[in-house]
Amino acid sequence: MEVIPSLDLLGGRVVRLTHGEFSSAKVYGDPEDVLDSLEVPARSRLHIVDLEASRSGKPFETDVVRRLAKRDLEVQVGGGIRQLDDAKRWLECGAERVVVGTVAASSPQLLRRMTETLGPERIVPAIDVRDGVVRVAGWTRDAETSLSEVLARVEELGVGEMLVTDITRDGALRGPSFSLYRELRARTRMKVIASGGVSTISDVVSLTRLGNVSGCVIGKALLEKRITLAEARARTAAINAIPERIIPCLDVRDGRVVKGVNFVNIRDAGDPVECAKRYEEEGADEVVILDISATDANRATALETVRRVADSLFIPLTVGGGVRTLEDFRAMLRAGADRVAINTAAIRRPELIRECATEFGVQAVVLSCDAKHVGDHWLATVRSGKELTAIDAITWCRRAEELGTGEILLTSVDRDGTSAGFDIELLRAATSALTIGVIASGGAGRLEDFRDAIESGGARAVLAASLFHDRVLTVGEVKTYLANEGIPVR
Amino acid sequence: MNVTLIDSPVANTANIARALRAAGAELHITNDPGEIASAKKLVLPGVGSFIAAMRWLEETRIADVLRKTTAPLLGICVGHQLLFDVSHEMGTTRGLGLVRGAIVKFDGPLPVPQIGWNRVTCRGPLFDGVASGSAFYFVNSYAARGATSEIARADYNGPFTAAVQSGRVFGVQFHPEKSSTAGLRVLRNFITWK
Repeated sequence: MEVIPSLDLLGGRVVRLTHGEFSSAKVYGDPEDVLDSLEVPARSRLHIVDLEASRSGKPFETDVVRRLAKRDLEVQVGGGIRQLDDAKRWLECGAERVVVGTVAASSPQLLRRMTETLGPERIVPAIDVRDGVVRVAGWTRDAETSLSEVLARVEELGVGEMLVTDITRDGALRGPSFSLYRELRARTRMKVIASGGVSTISDVVSLTRLGNVSGCVIGKALLEKRITLAEARARTAAINAIPERIIPCLDVRDGRVVKGVNFVNIRDAGDPVECAKRYEEEGADEVVILDISATDANRATALETVRRVADSLFIPLTVGGGVRTLEDFRAMLRAGADRVAINTAAIRRPELIRECATEFGVQAVVLSCDAKHVGDHWLATVRSGKELTAIDAITWCRRAEELGTGEILLTSVDRDGTSAGFDIELLRAATSALTIGVIASGGAGRLEDFRDAIESGGARAVLAASLFHDRVLTVGEVKTYLANEGIPVR
Repeated sequence: MNVTLIDSPVANTANIARALRAAGAELHITNDPGEIASAKKLVLPGVGSFIAAMRWLEETRIADVLRKTTAPLLGICVGHQLLFDVSHEMGTTRGLGLVRGAIVKFDGPLPVPQIGWNRVTCRGPLFDGVASGSAFYFVNSYAARGATSEIARADYNGPFTAAVQSGRVFGVQFHPEKSSTAGLRVLRNFITWK
């Protein structure tokens, strides 16, 4: 998949609008300076939007396009191209292609004439969609034609790809509309250039995995330095190298696996050794044991459980619950854990993270963060979600990364036990702020939830407990489903 | 006793011992240079820092024994890295020199250390019965890139050497003891290798 930097021009300068509102313009500066700062390699495709033209219907930024086209870049220009002469004008300025939106949606004869006169390789039809409806004229009104009709029309012309923007996602950094592109995969053979909402490297990887997306236009995320072109290109070249992980979790009390909604009405659900072995056989990539009864009094029982499970498990084992000191941490590793999750003790004394990382390596340290949605953000909680702190959960995860955490186990307290799906917004907030991986936890109910946590949420692993205990789904079923969705699994 | 596991203080010996036994080894665990010199088959584990591990091998004279012995040897993780000529982890440190090449830091867009499963393109007797493209579990910040005796390769910030074989000397950068059936099969292949 081709990663295409995008510059929106207004008054000769690079700007960004939110939801297409001109009054919301944020100015980034001179186009050539911006290109230099983005480190766009030679012969890259560059997507230019002439905002003034999209409003007035007349080419405006012709001088800028002339300058940019001289820089050994493959420029495509869009914005208000509603006549054949306008399209010609852009090509004369040095553009390789013209992006036509309103024409594609509203003027089939003109679109055909443009394609025949200029050649199909010069035309990129653009379809702007809001809630399943095609929008035209700088997103100001609904098209009279349905999405199906526009798709059929564009397919007939013999152009290779079309640019599809989900308007509600553009510039909002909420992530691309994977569902829209997946729907297009089912409805048309045409390749899609995805546009709107790409804000993380994970978004770029997930779009590539869809298969029908041949390019993605990135504007704000590049301008805001959330991602770099070099990284995006490197990652799209190796989307399947590293399998995403499925992690069953065993909640253990007094040496037995237990289950219960929100830790009330807890009932016995079996022997941890048997459960863990079954999960390995089903293809689990790792097992997590959370000892929900861990206190100083029964620490010996907890360690014995870890020892017994580690004895028969040949996949990584992560253990958490009641780890308060460096010595607790060491005892868990000695008992056979590969990694140890710390939560409450780290919030009370963050230095514990650094101490454990220095002593045992960052790969051994997992920060378990139980996040609760409060207002427009999330707060970290302690004592298994029972006690709210004043600490912003995302800020806390970043701090933990700096202190030396290998991975974050991020649980949505709101979703935990509900089977209502993972909190994708929480996951996106965390994965876009962190370099280390995030394990999604809390809310798994359906197969699609696992896909969405990875695809939209950017999680590098997905954890579930009762869903696997109760055999609502098996690890194998989840992995088969993900593989069919284009997500690499072991 | 057909396999001797070198009991290094800078290794998670217990997990490797469990896996070797599960793979069919009759195991002897020791750090005595004399016992290591007379071993029929040797496994050298290691985690953490190359420098600390190498210093221990030199101080105990086990390094000399490993350079002279003719017994088949399997290095695991940092044990694999110790087999090479040199490592550039925090300065330059000489290794055992049983395998040509250097250990270098992973540089690139993906976070370091690599923690997790990664697909491995593999061949040769160590991977008998393991499909090329199988995933193994890795935890590492350093690796060899394009070693001459490479028998397995994976990609993390570019291709790197996942396993080597030079005559009787084998090394795996991944953790076979944490790589489920594929990992146990690699251990069994080493145990039965002639």
